[in-house]
Amino acid sequence: MFDIAHILDVLIESYPLFMKGLWITLKLTVVSILIGTGIGLVFALFKISGIKILNWIANIYIALIRGTPLIVQIFIFYFGLAELGISAFWSAAFGLAMHNGAYIAEIFRGSIQSVDKGQMEAGRSLGMPYGLTMRRIILPQAFKRALPPLGNQFIIGLKDSSLASFIALSELFSIATTQGSRTFDEMTYLIIVGLYYLILVLLFTLLVNMLEKKLSAGE
Amino acid sequence: MKREMIRIENLKKSFGDLEVLKEVNLNVNESDVVVLIGASGSGKSTLLRCINFLEIKNGGKIVIEGEEVDPKSHNLNEVRQKVGMVFQHFNLFAHKTVLENVMEAPVMVKNEDKKEAEKDARILLDKVGLSDKADVYPAKLSGGQKQRVAIARALAMKPDIMLFDEPTSALDPELVGEVLATMKELAQEGMTMVVVTHEMGFAKEVADEVVYMHDGQIWERGTPSELFNNPKEDRTKDFLSSIL
Repeated sequence: MFDIAHILDVLIESYPLFMKGLWITLKLTVVSILIGTGIGLVFALFKISGIKILNWIANIYIALIRGTPLIVQIFIFYFGLAELGISAFWSAAFGLAMHNGAYIAEIFRGSIQSVDKGQMEAGRSLGMPYGLTMRRIILPQAFKRALPPLGNQFIIGLKDSSLASFIALSELFSIATTQGSRTFDEMTYLIIVGLYYLILVLLFTLLVNMLEKKLSAGE
Repeated sequence: MKREMIRIENLKKSFGDLEVLKEVNLNVNESDVVVLIGASGSGKSTLLRCINFLEIKNGGKIVIEGEEVDPKSHNLNEVRQKVGMVFQHFNLFAHKTVLENVMEAPVMVKNEDKKEAEKDARILLDKVGLSDKADVYPAKLSGGQKQRVAIARALAMKPDIMLFDEPTSALDPELVGEVLATMKELAQEGMTMVVVTHEMGFAKEVADEVVYMHDGQIWERGTPSELFNNPKEDRTKDFLSSIL
């Protein structure tokens, strides 16, 4: 079953096809994480704003996302947005972004609240407005603390992007399943795609570690 | 007659059911140093925090430099630029160097030119004796050094009034002196100061007026010699004998 020579053969042979899928997976991951980080930041600020209506909006959003399976969300986005003429790629990207956003919001909220409240008071006492103090004083410190859990969420986001294969997006996982069923050699292709994800995650981890080191300079 | 910098009338502040300030009246004239003393929980820190609106009063009046400040209609950011504050726990911006800490508000709030702000910041750091620490991050400083940077940071906004909230309470005993010396120098230059402290030596030497607070009220006030040598109220006597 585990014929290494065979797996290597297929790996080399299928390489161009997987590269196409890899490219889509990477695009999907990066786009959805960037948008998700933006969404997360906004909802984190809603949650700590102390304004009831904003609290509510953030809580409902997070409850909906956390309370339903990602695959359901992706299908809802896919069928909903297809009506508006939006492509499968962007439906998946928005779906994943909204999903990541809810978790990232909780990460940011925690890290913002972990910054000593004296930092905000010091900024305010110097005449700095709330928004400016948040942007210049609190968020840079919060972001540094958010980085480890954020990196973790990014890795989850990368792997979750495989669910986009269900809406006919030919990213990594979808290539593995189509090739597998075409050749009746599913196991080989699954092992190969697993390797691709593993390498991506390792590279990602390395990147986050580097960023963490760079940001922790001076402390 | 000196100009009146702060006037507080019937100030009230509660946290939930807890009445922390009950009808406090206080006035501070230009260049005066007023020291607030009292047991913890007597409301002195809250009073100080009300003066620059880190706490919002529940009643009464706060008049800063002749203008009554209503937190609802006034731009508090502008008021706070006139009223500097130094905190017990320094609250230096941890991700910024000493120099950046001092420059932050002048550049971001007053839109001062960066070069100009840096020049001023270096002068201030020199004044508090820390010009050699300009490029260091706060984590590398001693408590006394941190507090002196915090004083320089507050002064960078060129405030008319400085508030000190137990500025030496978090310091190791051997570091208290350097911070008090900086404050004394500031007082001699004519800065209007309101200081919450347990340093009675500082109060005796520097204060124009000492205010004893108890149970959310101003219990007794007077010159240092009046209050320390001839306290009229039994409470004041008890408090003084408990700490001296």
